[in-house]
Amino acid sequence: MDAATLSRDLTVDAESIAEAMEYYDSRGWTDGLPVVPVTESSLAAFLAVTDRDPEEVLFRIPHLNRSMTVRLAAINAALAGCKPEYFPVVIAAWEAIAKEPHPHRGIWQSTTGTAPFLVVNGPIRGEIDLNSQGNIYGSGFRANATIGRAIRLGCINVFGLHPHSLDQATQGNPSKYSACIGENEEQSPWAPFHVDNGFDASDSVVTAYVIRSVMHIEARHTMDPVQLVEDFADSIRRTGALIHEYTSALLVLVPEHADLFADAGWSKDDVRNAVFERVVRSRAELAAAGKDAVSHKTRWRLPSDHPDSMPDAASESDTPDTVRLMSHPTSVQIMVAGANNAGVSSVVEVFTLNPPRAIPYSSVKIGSAA
Amino acid sequence: MVRELLLDPTGMSEDSADATLSARTASLRGLTIGLLDNTKPNSTDLLQAIGDELQRTYGAAGTRMYTKDYFGTPAKDELREQIVAEVDVLITGVGDCGSCSAATVADGIQFERAGIPTVAITSDSFYASGRAMAQVQGFPGFDFYAVQHPFASLDADEVRERAMNALPEVLRILGVEG
Repeated sequence: MDAATLSRDLTVDAESIAEAMEYYDSRGWTDGLPVVPVTESSLAAFLAVTDRDPEEVLFRIPHLNRSMTVRLAAINAALAGCKPEYFPVVIAAWEAIAKEPHPHRGIWQSTTGTAPFLVVNGPIRGEIDLNSQGNIYGSGFRANATIGRAIRLGCINVFGLHPHSLDQATQGNPSKYSACIGENEEQSPWAPFHVDNGFDASDSVVTAYVIRSVMHIEARHTMDPVQLVEDFADSIRRTGALIHEYTSALLVLVPEHADLFADAGWSKDDVRNAVFERVVRSRAELAAAGKDAVSHKTRWRLPSDHPDSMPDAASESDTPDTVRLMSHPTSVQIMVAGANNAGVSSVVEVFTLNPPRAIPYSSVKIGSAA
Repeated sequence: MVRELLLDPTGMSEDSADATLSARTASLRGLTIGLLDNTKPNSTDLLQAIGDELQRTYGAAGTRMYTKDYFGTPAKDELREQIVAEVDVLITGVGDCGSCSAATVADGIQFERAGIPTVAITSDSFYASGRAMAQVQGFPGFDFYAVQHPFASLDADEVRERAMNALPEVLRILGVEG
């Protein structure tokens, strides 16, 4: 519809709209919120923005014998309320998710309750008005809200991951509704995330994480980079984050915090290494929480007096009483997002099983060929 | 106004279903019982106790234990082919988590389709997950056994008691006349 049409008052058949909503809801084809009705003609606009074959498989969960095709991705994107021009982002998001190790092994059936979490870089952010500045995790921006939701609806509808049935998340987390943020490249003192990863600044890139939670770091109190890095590390090294031996984190720095580090001469690697060095606990602190050893069979953390326990990796190191809770410096990832109005950043806790991965995310360029 | 059909976002209807159980035998006499352990706590003991009882009381020839390398997904093709070649019936479990309960039911369905009468065992708190897996596998009526939760934290005597409680259902699913 053109601007002139949209500016006029609109009349609709509310009963017919409600009927379509009830139809989708009655079949369980929603996340609980109303969805946008999709027909072949509305779907055609989505398939027209890509030259990918509608039957091409973007992501498959082999043990469910289910596949996300381009066509099904488009139907669910339309259902989620995406505009057709968002669809290339959704395609790249599914491809990034396909590169992640846990989703195709069934992690979204798991009690752990993780969520897909998408980060978008590059010029596409401006083209589709994808928010990266202010209230990044909150609502209010159609591109962010519906691109993340397109993934969730695809999980529910195509892979049958309905809560209480195939999705056995004990609590889940709010990001499951939708989690898609842009990097605030324009207010970052550093190179954008995708450029660090070998893409051109002019490329648009989607990065997928599998996450457990988003924690806020209230830090408007200091101009000292060492104090600030300690504030982050203290939150990341909480024992409740640990399933297996290690944890991983994405630091989503607001421009003010990024500038504080950069003005002190710190690169992203300096921040990364400083956090990595501080994410340690004493053996006694882990023992107090009953997480000072690991299971023989599953490698989950448990108390050292448990019959299935064996020593963790740190026990065999030169400093057995100082336990590193991150396996690699790259277990700390860093990006910039949020408003440039306060020192309130966040730590996204990235789901980390055993063995830990050095690089805890997967990126795909938007619009790349199959 | 153009009226059009609303589209199905699942793609489910395009898949073929196969809800046929393997052929049953009336007796376990002389048969080899496969036990497929998914590595979850107490699974080995429960499966062995059931297998031993099938041998002692129902005349099975013996048991063979196999172990999955990851509890969250069904057994790999090579392991499944080996088991199909080496046993006559199979007991597998215990699916006591979100992904492993569904994987256990998927195993059960795949072994049935490969011709092996199979009892898949989940914990009863994950019964719904097992049912949902049977649905996506195109075998909505697939019958499996749900052991009482909690299971992972039981001691040896309690595991044995659960095995004895399971027995009538195991025999029923296998189609054996007790």
